[in-house]
Amino acid sequence: MTTAQASEQPPAERGRGLSTKAKVLIGLGIYLGVAVVLFAIFGSDGRNEEFQPQDEFKLDPWIELKIGSVDLSFNKAVLYLLITCVLTVGTMVLIARRMQQRPNNTQTIVEGAYDLTYSNIAKGNMSEEAAAKWFPFVATLFFFIWFSNMLGYIPLPVNDHETIDIFGIDFPAFALYAATANISIPLVLTLTVFFLYQAEGIRRHGLVRYLKSWLPAGVSGGAAVPIFAIEVISQFVRIISLSVRLFANILAGHLLILFMAGGLAVLVGVTAIGWITLPAAVAFFIFEVGLIATLQAFIFATLTSIYFGEASAGGH
Amino acid sequence: MLDILLPIAQVTDDGLKAIALGIGAGVGTIGPGIGVGFIFGKVIESVTRQPEMREEITSIQWLGFALTEAIIFYAFVFGLIAFFL
Repeated sequence: MTTAQASEQPPAERGRGLSTKAKVLIGLGIYLGVAVVLFAIFGSDGRNEEFQPQDEFKLDPWIELKIGSVDLSFNKAVLYLLITCVLTVGTMVLIARRMQQRPNNTQTIVEGAYDLTYSNIAKGNMSEEAAAKWFPFVATLFFFIWFSNMLGYIPLPVNDHETIDIFGIDFPAFALYAATANISIPLVLTLTVFFLYQAEGIRRHGLVRYLKSWLPAGVSGGAAVPIFAIEVISQFVRIISLSVRLFANILAGHLLILFMAGGLAVLVGVTAIGWITLPAAVAFFIFEVGLIATLQAFIFATLTSIYFGEASAGGH
Repeated sequence: MLDILLPIAQVTDDGLKAIALGIGAGVGTIGPGIGVGFIFGKVIESVTRQPEMREEITSIQWLGFALTEAIIFYAFVFGLIAFFL
């Protein structure tokens, strides 16, 4: 961070005999010097065997709830899902209620959100008729995933492995966790999308005509059989690609932030490493919040509307 | 030198899995890395050729970026599967 500040100073303040290059080098030197000093003071504690990074993503049941062999325990992910649901429903109701003639700040944001989900995502990839029909679904998906992702970057007191002692009461430590960093939630969303758009295609075209519409235009006769087999596989690969894309993006982002913001230093037992990796953690955090969280929600909703558009229009 | 070589000789299953994760995720990053660079390069090229198409191009750019970038994470996830199973 010091290097960036040094290079961005305006020319007027640069004076006092130091060139930009020298300042950059001094900043870099101080940065590395602190790392060396930290290493000299604290040294290496040896490998930490107690700290298990995967515990950050472990779901311990908070309230046991079992019906037969089905585990419905209330845990961290369920709490995050509930908050996300409340936020999503709240936004949808707000959008529905707040459509007024006279614009104000809220109205501008609401209209921006509506414009993005309706004009850009739904209408850009579906026919007018299908867009009107499936826009609520696509918009709900977008907001649900977006809120879920963004909630993952706000520290909430949900870490039940570590506790902070405040006035004799053990509070759970603050932790970053996202419901979408667990494969089951993207998978359920993907399966919903998959079965809905297949049903939409079959309802609109009839089973045989819908299956025929999977074939690219102009393919007939003997070549149709292997190409149809490939198309069937590609339809089912969509389940994996759609769910894993969302899940792995969020999981990898959280892992990077975890390791860079201190996990690596704790794991290896060298304090100086924590100092060196901290700027990377800040950079990744900004990257994840500013781009990836919104982009993944956008991609999920866009691909969903592409699939619905394909199923309702037929052909490729 | 012997300190370094001795642990390598005692190959464990965990060590092999860690190598699989490292190589798998690392090599899997090469292709998507080239792809992402290609996308942004082409976007710059197209915007300089037709600046009036900028908005349309940027919306397609993010779609292409996210689809390509996801391949990195497929490698990463399958590496994790190899590591933990």
